[in-house]
Amino acid sequence: MKNLFRILLVITLIFCFTGVAAAGEIQKKLIRESTIEKIIKSGKIRVGMSTFVPWAMQDKTGKWIGFEIDVATQLAKDMGVKLELMPTKWDGLIPSLITGKLDVIIAGMAGTPQRALKINFTIPYDYSVENMVANKEVAAGFTKPEDFNKKGVTVITRLGVTANNTIDTLMPLATKREFPDEGSLVQELINGKAHAILISSPLPAFTALKYPDKLFFIPTPLKSYPISFGVRKGDADTLAYFNNWITVKRNQGWLKDTATYWFQSQKWKSKIQ
Amino acid sequence: MKKKKINRTDLVVLTCVSILLIYVIYRLTIGFSYRWNWSVMPQYLFRFDAESGKWVPNMLINGLLATIRISIWGTILATVIGVVMGLCRTSQSLFLRLISRTYVELIRNIPPLVIIFLFYFFISDQIMPLLGIDYLIESLSGEMEGVLRFFFADPVYASNFFSALITLATFEGAYITEIVRAGIQAIERGQWEASYALGMSQWQQMRHIILPQATTQILPPLGGQFISLVKDSAIVSVISIQELTFMGTELMSGTYLTIEIWTIVTALYLMITLPCSLLVERLEIYMSRSRA
Repeated sequence: MKNLFRILLVITLIFCFTGVAAAGEIQKKLIRESTIEKIIKSGKIRVGMSTFVPWAMQDKTGKWIGFEIDVATQLAKDMGVKLELMPTKWDGLIPSLITGKLDVIIAGMAGTPQRALKINFTIPYDYSVENMVANKEVAAGFTKPEDFNKKGVTVITRLGVTANNTIDTLMPLATKREFPDEGSLVQELINGKAHAILISSPLPAFTALKYPDKLFFIPTPLKSYPISFGVRKGDADTLAYFNNWITVKRNQGWLKDTATYWFQSQKWKSKIQ
Repeated sequence: MKKKKINRTDLVVLTCVSILLIYVIYRLTIGFSYRWNWSVMPQYLFRFDAESGKWVPNMLINGLLATIRISIWGTILATVIGVVMGLCRTSQSLFLRLISRTYVELIRNIPPLVIIFLFYFFISDQIMPLLGIDYLIESLSGEMEGVLRFFFADPVYASNFFSALITLATFEGAYITEIVRAGIQAIERGQWEASYALGMSQWQQMRHIILPQATTQILPPLGGQFISLVKDSAIVSVISIQELTFMGTELMSGTYLTIEIWTIVTALYLMITLPCSLLVERLEIYMSRSRA
């Protein structure tokens, strides 16, 4: 009987210790396998982005410039690692992140609830407002966004962006069409095949400035979205690190200065063409 | 050789074509509201690098080079897959025939775009770590990095490049399989029987009798398939490989010079495919002559 008791005691103790040890092991494993640890270890950060003037674009020499590029460059600098920009089609960003082809998405992506089901978002580092730019000829007499909520009116936007949602809710009667990139979007509007583009600022304002004889800007701000970094699910360390980074940069005023340069001014225009 | 004369029908056709062409150009310049800007185009092909003081290729030419690289490697890999699978397809073993048939039917009956997405996001994720390519790229020395950049892609994008390459080769391999199978099956039964009667083994029959004859049947359609491969390489732009079409769309997103860039992209593709087409034509003539 005494022997049996001892054996039971020893077995219980072993189980207790392994339990404690396993918990410690899991924690270590989580830290070791977090993206942030991998970035530091490999000395490089793979940032997914997508061309979207002036968030991210190539200058005349093929070099990447833009608001997101500045953010990513500063982030890599602060982490002391090499920046690897991975230009990715907009609709391929989230799958690429999930399947581990990217470490983080810094692409002016709004952290919508639908997207947040698939990936995690940091606290916002910027906010985007949606605006409209319309064709003077086709959309003559249209002055406010409500005017576009009619049968036979075509409003276009980029494939898979938040503006799709805005069009669906604010202009249910209008026909919505989606394009994979901005070039074809603007071309479609200039050709008069659509009444307006609805997309994140500053594209509407800048496009209207560029083609003053054909297009006009509708300054009414529509929906506003928080812009966040996207990271893989189940990785609290990475999320915490980026949140911290964003808080620090916001408090330093760095984020605001950078955003002002890219979104309010057009000083960078000469670098593009 | 007979001297070619232009007759009345030719003249009528020529006039019609030129009228149509003039009308299209007229519509493009007058009726079409588009602000042309050809003057900035050359700088996207080549640019002057102030640092090194040399002319270096810019985005579009870099894209073209990437397209050429992926086409060449894709051709090699697809040919290997195609020949192996083609031999399996005509093999006597039921198992091998089943495998190759499944491969061909699966690939040929799925849209290429769907295959590329499936393969890139789900399957290559399993294959790539198995091949250890990522690890290999990271352990490369400075010199080897240069080699990698020259023959394949920039080390940063190399992993993506190989995924795309495998995808493209798997896809094109299915068509090459069918070309090889058709070539082998076109050889009459008597050839097999005669070589069997001579006491050759299955492999010897294939190696010395069937394949040499089948090659003349296979080469012309194979050349055509290679041209298709160059064109199909544009599909991998959807998975963000830095090739010509992707670079073009990226540039358009930044500059909105849609038509100019598509025109240049078209011309660059033609620069690769047209000479290939002519070569295939020459090859066909040569083959038919040597057969006769």
